[in-house]
Amino acid sequence: MKRRLARDLIVTVIVVFGVGSLAMLLAHVNPIDGFGALFDGALGNESEVAETLLQTTALLFPALGIALAFRAGLFNIGAEGQLLLGGLAAGVLGVILPLPSIILIPVLLAAGACAGGVWGGLAGFLRARFGANEVIATLMLNVIAALLAAYLVGGPLMQPGAAASETALLPHAAWLPAILPDTRLTISFAIAIVLAFILRFVFTRTVFGFELRAAGDAPEAARRAGIDLATSAFVAMTLSGAIAGLGGATIVMGVLHRFNAGLSPGYGFIAIAVALVGNLEPLFIIVAAFAFGILQSGAIAMQAEAGVPRDVIAIVEGLVIIALAGRRVVAARRTS
Amino acid sequence: MWENILLGREPRRGFSIDRERAREIVRELARRHGLAVNPDALVETLPVGIRQRVELLRELVREPAILLLDEPTAALAPSEIDAFFTTVRALAAHGTAIMIVTHKLAEVVAYSRRVTVMRAGAIVARFETATTDVDAIARAMVGGEVPPLVARAATVPVPRLVVRELRAKNEAAELHAAALRVCAGEIVGIAGVEGNGQSLLADAIAGTIGYTGEMSLDGEPLASTLGPGARLMRGIRVIPQDRTHEALVLDWSLSDNVALGRQRTAPLQRGGVIDRGVAARYARDVIERFDVRPPNPSVIVGMLSGGNQQKVVVGRALADAPQLIVAYQPTRGIDIGAGTLVQSRLIEARNAGAAVLLISFELDEIFALADRVYVMFGGRFVGEFARGTIDRGRIGALMAGGV
Repeated sequence: MKRRLARDLIVTVIVVFGVGSLAMLLAHVNPIDGFGALFDGALGNESEVAETLLQTTALLFPALGIALAFRAGLFNIGAEGQLLLGGLAAGVLGVILPLPSIILIPVLLAAGACAGGVWGGLAGFLRARFGANEVIATLMLNVIAALLAAYLVGGPLMQPGAAASETALLPHAAWLPAILPDTRLTISFAIAIVLAFILRFVFTRTVFGFELRAAGDAPEAARRAGIDLATSAFVAMTLSGAIAGLGGATIVMGVLHRFNAGLSPGYGFIAIAVALVGNLEPLFIIVAAFAFGILQSGAIAMQAEAGVPRDVIAIVEGLVIIALAGRRVVAARRTS
Repeated sequence: MWENILLGREPRRGFSIDRERAREIVRELARRHGLAVNPDALVETLPVGIRQRVELLRELVREPAILLLDEPTAALAPSEIDAFFTTVRALAAHGTAIMIVTHKLAEVVAYSRRVTVMRAGAIVARFETATTDVDAIARAMVGGEVPPLVARAATVPVPRLVVRELRAKNEAAELHAAALRVCAGEIVGIAGVEGNGQSLLADAIAGTIGYTGEMSLDGEPLASTLGPGARLMRGIRVIPQDRTHEALVLDWSLSDNVALGRQRTAPLQRGGVIDRGVAARYARDVIERFDVRPPNPSVIVGMLSGGNQQKVVVGRALADAPQLIVAYQPTRGIDIGAGTLVQSRLIEARNAGAAVLLISFELDEIFALADRVYVMFGGRFVGEFARGTIDRGRIGALMAGGV
């Protein structure tokens, strides 16, 4: 386990700095200037740090969800769709429900988690009931989620005064309170950190986590120890989706204050790399999410200051996903 | 199967593989060496013993100059073992150097020319087979006298496990209306060649496969829909065939592995949280009773030797006064000291009142432990012998399908 962590870290560092530098050289930029602009843009002052933590939070929720599924031996690449539907549920209900903030916020967060949970649970059900490969199922459910959200927002749920791809602005009662004045950083950051600690406790100390890990690490031995693998797959995928959906709700309630079909620039996919770089350990994942948060928020500054297309960062992140996840996809294919 | 055996040296016809010729080569090779196989069987579906034949054939087809065999007879029947050594002798006579790693002393004495004994990673003795005997080799292996088995205590037989009309099947074998009973305080041995339905019997009792027929424990019926978890709760413990795959989580610590299967039972579990102190205590109990090395509850089980892994599996199964223990080849592939320890603990569990069903392909093990023996052939029980009436020759004949 430790050796794998070290290897994944080395791979990540090589990909980020090696390929990143190469891409910058192709764009005729000195990599030192490019990465300098990136780090300066991500961590240069208080508001930039807040933006980086905002990106960290957006990645942390889906990464924790993905890690939970991985621990149960399941590869959830549907976090993107689960996150989107979680955001949709919060965005739609937030406009409709006339509730005071103290009730409305928990209700909307729960609604987001439920929507994501249903979406993840659907893949879990297909796996548990029919043995359908969850990689394929979640991948396709992503597409369905994106089209479903676009259709609902532009059609049946279209609200007066809203553009075709958005819901109306949420009432202030639904806005997550800020934790740093004059920044967009809200209590969602604290929720994500607390969630990571809770998951760590669940994995290491609880019977539920013990059985989840057994099902993931040695399914046949787990089955003989009285663990129902079908139930385990369903529950793990549901919770995984719920955590991603919760993340989507916090983006809507804390950052955009309305649902927008384009609310995620691929958080659900980048989070796969975050979960794997964090070795599926919730506390390491916080660190990994911060590192990727720096890449996300520094990319814009890098484009503005050093003239490096921000797509370089997308390329780098994509390569990290392929490098770290490819092996596991192959392993998942063998076992299912 | 033929693809596995001929991989890398397939007979060709133009650009394609000559499948007919390939099957013919495999059949001919198998016949010449007295190892019956079906060239078209899928290796995945074969029992371990038959897979071993495939591995052996795969090496033999390459006409090796030096042949290293690691526990080659572990899964072979007595009659197959004779044929196997005839094959090996013939190879040796043609100039192949053969080295066999084994823990079966009888075979060492019967078939080898020279013996080297290893213990704890070092060579501790060398013998010329002609001038030594089993006892001398065994003493060198364990570093002293072989510990005697625990004595058996007299018990009053009360039927605990009763099985009637048990039917089940998989690709490799089928159970035909098998019936047996195992009493509290009794070790019942199942003698038979691997592949005659033993794994189906063990899996049916464990609740991991579907079956039809009646099964009851202490008079209470065990429905065929009752899964492994519910059977665990009823006091049924299975030492499965494949410890690395079916029993242990290799990436986990010894302590977590000992906890596996009891994770929902107090006092290990309280309010959904696992008590680490209790888990560590359970692990230390197993370590002490079974002399697990290293004696460290946090050691990763995948790092242990096969013998020590098996001690963990058996130790976990015997830990909390089980009602019924199904032991499938409990001493397979482990050294003689660990094997004797495992056997002694099984007798102790029996003396404490547990019912023990011992499935073994080693007749010596069955004769050493069992109070009663069933012989299994072709998915049926074809003979039953009480301890006093055991007839080795008769059992051997029944195992081979004789009447």
